[in-house]
Amino acid sequence: MTAEAAPTAVVADPGGARAAAGRSLEPAGARRRRAPDGALVLRSPRLGASVRVPVRPLVVTVAVAATALLVFAWSLSVGDFPVAFGDVLASLVGRGSADSDFIVRTLRLPRGLAALTVGAALGISGAIFQRIARNPLASPDIVGVTAGATACAVLTIVVLDGTPSQVTWGALAGSTVTSVAIYLLSYRRGVTGYRLVLVGIGATAMLTSVTSFLMTRAEVYDAQRAMVWLTGSLNGRGWEQVRPLGWGLGVLVPIALVLGRDLRLLDLGDDAARGLGARVEGVRSGLLLIGVALAALAVSCAGPIVFVALVSPQIARRLVGGTGAALLSSAAAGAALLVASDLVARRLFAPTELPAGIVTALLGAPFLLWLLARADRVGSAG
Amino acid sequence: MSARPSGPLGDATTAALADDRGAAALAARGLSLAYDDRLVVDDLSIAVPPEAVTVIVGANACGKSTLLRGLARLLAPRTGTVLLDGHDIHRLPTREVATRLGLLPQQPIAPEGITVADLVARGRHPHQRWYRQWSATDEEAVEAALDATHLTELADRTVDELSGGQRQRVWIALTLAQGTGLMLLDEPTTFLDLAHQVEVLDLLAELNRRERRTIVLVLHDLALACRYAHHLVAMKDGAIVAEGDPAAVITPETVEAVFGLACRVISDPLTGTPLVLPIPAARRAPRDAPPAPSPVGNGAGGRAR
Repeated sequence: MTAEAAPTAVVADPGGARAAAGRSLEPAGARRRRAPDGALVLRSPRLGASVRVPVRPLVVTVAVAATALLVFAWSLSVGDFPVAFGDVLASLVGRGSADSDFIVRTLRLPRGLAALTVGAALGISGAIFQRIARNPLASPDIVGVTAGATACAVLTIVVLDGTPSQVTWGALAGSTVTSVAIYLLSYRRGVTGYRLVLVGIGATAMLTSVTSFLMTRAEVYDAQRAMVWLTGSLNGRGWEQVRPLGWGLGVLVPIALVLGRDLRLLDLGDDAARGLGARVEGVRSGLLLIGVALAALAVSCAGPIVFVALVSPQIARRLVGGTGAALLSSAAAGAALLVASDLVARRLFAPTELPAGIVTALLGAPFLLWLLARADRVGSAG
Repeated sequence: MSARPSGPLGDATTAALADDRGAAALAARGLSLAYDDRLVVDDLSIAVPPEAVTVIVGANACGKSTLLRGLARLLAPRTGTVLLDGHDIHRLPTREVATRLGLLPQQPIAPEGITVADLVARGRHPHQRWYRQWSATDEEAVEAALDATHLTELADRTVDELSGGQRQRVWIALTLAQGTGLMLLDEPTTFLDLAHQVEVLDLLAELNRRERRTIVLVLHDLALACRYAHHLVAMKDGAIVAEGDPAAVITPETVEAVFGLACRVISDPLTGTPLVLPIPAARRAPRDAPPAPSPVGNGAGGRAR
């Protein structure tokens, strides 16, 4: 019964108690204070203030975001008409030659930014769905948002013969209408992730058959255009597609981060979270709405790019450690994955381009299989 | 077994846990609770005795868990009010309620891979603000809660690798770390073997005795309920049938009315509290007339032979 003697020692020296358990959280020799989740704690007794600094998530997120930005910068430089880094920088500040200005600022910059923002939006949206549904397989791809955008985009191409920009708006309208419908259909004394996923799967099945029907009735040329859109591509994305998504991210992500602080309570189940003072319904509805909106914006910009929303939170979680996919690290992982995938898609068989959606699937699917195989082994070990 | 609480809690534990709570009074008046259109609790009034252990018993689906959820403001009343310190609990900020009233729900979820200390620390959420994210008080409360539940040595283990009894202690530790004078626990002993049930109940009794915490719990086992309750509440069909001292509440008539169970009640040889002995059907048969003569064979006669 060592526990009998423990009390005084525990309060006087929390680090000592940890060390007794054989696995100290403290680095050897350091007297830094750590919260139980491993975050560094900074305290000012004079102000009565204390701050948790989640060192590892912070470092990982910054590193992943930096990787994304590096690949992004590289993608501005390479291509069928290589532009030297110096010329890229000159063009960015508006002092380049006319040629490099056109290539960098009109062709590559909006496309690179689209890759970054679409990836980030899908990553954060996937993280929201997975946390709230408490299911690593939940993602906007399966809850109907993507299917709604797809059906409407194909409708715009095949029936209305729309321009690319009209297709974007058609997709946005489709995903918005579908999202609202799914949200209302799954509303029953608040929205639960489980119900939302089931309703979404039903809606996806329905909308997919609409898309298939439209494809069978389409002229060959329209069908080909629709097919390209259906694979998800960043080719030819201009400022008019990037701007709405940029605004969406700027407004929605800060709200998501504020609401997301209560996710660590929602992880414990609804009743426990309410018992600890979380406003469960408000937080969940707000986050789901944001997740749906971000996915809708992303899909209308780039088409249904698969696996980014599913895999980014999983990558982030494994890099960061801890218990749930953090929203910001998932956004960084999504941006990095998509910007890299798009670069591969552009350069692998250059000058022929692949749609980015093919590359994310080629990278994402094996990764998912690896995760599943590994989860089994970890599960049996634990 | 080595972790069964047998000694008094350390003084440091008591000091750390006692700081941020006062005696809170919980009561319900004319309370009706419903899921959609199904009325589960109907016009019920109760005053939880402060600084005592109250145990709610009743048959399955009698509304005892629903009542507990209603008392913990997880369910908005159809009619009536729940009063915390005399104020309507639904008009108080939910976070403020969480500093006075702690709840252990029936099936909380431990996130995959979470450590014991991390999970218990989440109980401090109601006391934290953006400028006060992990204070010295938080740290002490978590250490004290881990100590009181004999989990200090398991603090860095993941919850997934613990046994059912240890896991239940972790959740109780989370509720303890919350530092509330009132603790509501919904069937904290379900899925535990007898030894672990006793371990959990001993711990709660000790918390009540040493720190004067008001404890309300839902239990299934009548013998254990009678042993640990100062105040016993027997429910049937969403209403309170009887409440008071276990010795006064538990009579063959009440048990028959509440559970539909024929029984004898004797005095527990260890504690003197009531002990319910169900009468097996085979012994009951000669006294009870069969409800209707069976057209096929003679079932009752067959059993008598």
